[in-house]
Amino acid sequence: MLVPTVVLSGIGLLAGLGLALAARAFAVETDPRQDRITEALPGANCGGCGFAGCGDFAGAVVRGDAKPDGCPVCDQETRRLVASIVGQTVQDRAPQVALILCQGGDDVAAKKYRYNGLASCASAALLGGGDKACSAGCLGLGDCQRVCAFGAVEMTPSGVARIIPARCTACGLCVAACPKDLIKLVPVEATIHVLCSNHDRGPAAKKACTVACLGCKKCEKSFTGDPRIRVADFLAYIDYEHAPDDPALAALCPTGSLVYRGDAAPAAERTT
Amino acid sequence: MKFSGGVHPAYHKDTAGLQIEAMPLLHRYVVPIAQHLGAPGKVLVAKGDRVARWQPLSEPVGFVSVPVHAPTSGTVKQVAALPHPLGRPMLAVEIESDGEDRPWEGLAPPADWRRLEPAELRRAIQAAGVVGMGGATFPTHVKLSPPAEKKVDLLILNGAECEPYLTADHRVMLEQAAEVMEGLGLMMRVLGVTRACVGIESNKPDALEALRRACPADVAAEFTLLETKYPQGSEKHLIYALSGRRVPPGGLPMDVGCVVQNVGTAVACLEAVRDGLPMTERVATVTGAAINVPHNLRVRVGAPLLDVLAHCGGVTPDVGKVIFGGPMMGIGQFDMDVPLIKGTSGVLCLRDDEAVLFEGGPCIRCGACVDACPMGLVPSAMGLIAERFRFEELGDWHILDCIECGSCAYVCPSRRPLVQHFKRGKAEWRDILEERRAKTDRDAKRAETAATA
Amino acid sequence: MELVLLVLSAILVNNFVLSRFLGICPFLGVSKKLSTALGMTAAVMFVMTLASTVCWLVFHGLLRPYGLEYLQTISFILIIAAMVQLVELALQKLSPGLYRSLGIYLPLITTNCAVLGCAVMNIMNESSLLVTAVFSLAAAMGFGLALVLFSGIREVLALADTPRSFRGTAIALVTAGTLSLSFMGFAGLVK
Repeated sequence: MLVPTVVLSGIGLLAGLGLALAARAFAVETDPRQDRITEALPGANCGGCGFAGCGDFAGAVVRGDAKPDGCPVCDQETRRLVASIVGQTVQDRAPQVALILCQGGDDVAAKKYRYNGLASCASAALLGGGDKACSAGCLGLGDCQRVCAFGAVEMTPSGVARIIPARCTACGLCVAACPKDLIKLVPVEATIHVLCSNHDRGPAAKKACTVACLGCKKCEKSFTGDPRIRVADFLAYIDYEHAPDDPALAALCPTGSLVYRGDAAPAAERTT
Repeated sequence: MKFSGGVHPAYHKDTAGLQIEAMPLLHRYVVPIAQHLGAPGKVLVAKGDRVARWQPLSEPVGFVSVPVHAPTSGTVKQVAALPHPLGRPMLAVEIESDGEDRPWEGLAPPADWRRLEPAELRRAIQAAGVVGMGGATFPTHVKLSPPAEKKVDLLILNGAECEPYLTADHRVMLEQAAEVMEGLGLMMRVLGVTRACVGIESNKPDALEALRRACPADVAAEFTLLETKYPQGSEKHLIYALSGRRVPPGGLPMDVGCVVQNVGTAVACLEAVRDGLPMTERVATVTGAAINVPHNLRVRVGAPLLDVLAHCGGVTPDVGKVIFGGPMMGIGQFDMDVPLIKGTSGVLCLRDDEAVLFEGGPCIRCGACVDACPMGLVPSAMGLIAERFRFEELGDWHILDCIECGSCAYVCPSRRPLVQHFKRGKAEWRDILEERRAKTDRDAKRAETAATA
Repeated sequence: MELVLLVLSAILVNNFVLSRFLGICPFLGVSKKLSTALGMTAAVMFVMTLASTVCWLVFHGLLRPYGLEYLQTISFILIIAAMVQLVELALQKLSPGLYRSLGIYLPLITTNCAVLGCAVMNIMNESSLLVTAVFSLAAAMGFGLALVLFSGIREVLALADTPRSFRGTAIALVTAGTLSLSFMGFAGLVK
């Protein structure tokens, strides 16, 4: 019994000794904080921070290249944890969700030519801004859907992208991917939105799409002296800092571009 | 010398026998401020202003920038973003003609180019708003100002006109041969070169003969009849065909001591100096099966497309596609309110059945595009990569050397939209390069601060 | 001559991956890109040759004299694990890029049955030390050949229009099977 024990532990001891020497020879300095940050992060490697995955982002935080609250996906607690690892503090941020500011599907929006190239919005946009007659409209070829790491973008049957709020982590990848700049991050609590990005004058906008904002100012006028909805350059804007919460407001809109979404998912339901 | 690759599309040069006809004065012109590659100029006029013919509407901003001029006298109706042949609305000046066609008083006096210094000639060419008329619309004075370290010894006059359908350059060479050759002499003087080559495709021997006969004694030009093959008129291929020099990847013609100019540009340069007249008109071929009366038209820059088509008898009811330029590299138009601009070498109206939309199929790896690519690239692989959004691999395939000539898409039996893939791929690859450069800069800066700290 | 035959046989006829079906895990795992495949090949070559040689020495110098043949597997695993750790440490220092792209598959060489199989085969065949070293190197080269071929095919395959149900691992397995079939053609090479 003794011999096998001695032989086996001898081999083990020798191997261990060799490894210890090798570890000294090939020592690589890594900042332990980087591993701790990587562990704290969601680990989806979505790239929403602008770095190649969570590990890369962690390295950037340790080096000081990225702010500790740079991860757009993780919750407030994680952000605080990451900041504490590198000895910083972060501001609290209101939870956000992406929103596609267009509802001009093929059923309501006109087209100016027949497109049959690569099924990608950025490619279509090279050809005179895309095939939609509306200069701002969603091209419906799903670049935002393709980049979303969380499956939070769906295409409606009429060919417009739509965010599934429950899955959206507000990482902002779709915002960057949209060649028409149609996607915006808005507070989760906001219930009323202008789902149009068209800056053309009323008649032109109406010709291109029946659900376009015409810049008629009906919504703005209903709030005299209140800047919560403004119309500038023939397009209504919501001031999300003081977002109104009134279903009656949407009814004022003659085209339906002003939309009330009382069913917006509360923050607690969001997956992070 | 013959370049490898290239294609032989049906040439359809049916308008080659039609004399250039001047377009009558129109009621309305729309002059985009940006008609050249480079910084758009600064607008000098406002709504309600009275302008005279040849009066500048904008002034250049920086060196790579040229002004645009009023095509006729009249009133400025608006200065606004209006439809542009490149596809999106751009700043343009709309002029309502007063029918007088009154010339501007501030025109430069006529001058003899043989007595002027190169710098003065360059200034005159820029002030006249001359751009390359082959279609790329690069400001001509920039091309005629090679940096001191680039020794240019050869000026090439491009009369290849390899695009199917187009015959504008052909007619200019026939009807304005003397002016073309004098313009060539002028540009040689600007560049200070003693040697010039004129390259013309073999399907236009009459043009070559006309130019040869019109060549003044003091202009030393060699004339070469080139193989009729698309894209013979591409700068790089023309240089190779005429001089055997190869422009390095990512390089410019001046890297091998060459400058290439279009025949129409030569005439515009001459007019700018000899007559002091800015570039406000060009010759354009209006043709295609869907136009009733094809024309070679001398048309003022800014003429609305609809008026030009109406002058040519209008389009047939089965028109399916209107293209600015030739069928290979031209730009399809979806808005009939666009004007003709300095770079519009032709208006091609195709019938619906000619412009049939093909559903692009899968790549069958037949290699036809590889044989056709005049740049020696592998379009099939690049197309597949771009189609899968793996843009970061495109650099390995030298995507930036693609000249977007469309030979690959022309021969593709699967009708794949290859050029569109490459346009997108080039844009994405440039972004990637830009990002990498920014990152290297960041890293370098960090290393620097770390070293000082 | 015998050694040449041995090498040829190990690379082509009795290819570890395609004929003996050993080492399938990294074969499928790190064959998406040619560059990673080459790195993996180098790592496996190093580990396999060295581990087999050391295992031979341990077996013939330690285990057999003391009649401890039954400790063969456990002691071999111990040696291989140490070797892999060594490679991992070295790679992390010398080529961080390769280290990252190999990822989990690097430590998994430990459980790579090709390495253990090679060591055990040498003992079973009662090979000499020289033959052991040459055979292990050749076997690793065979592994590398299969890996490089396969990754090349996969790189091209990634550009092909694969039917939806075949995408990913499915088409990779089909490809591996076809590759294996073609390697069976070498069976008649060495008589």
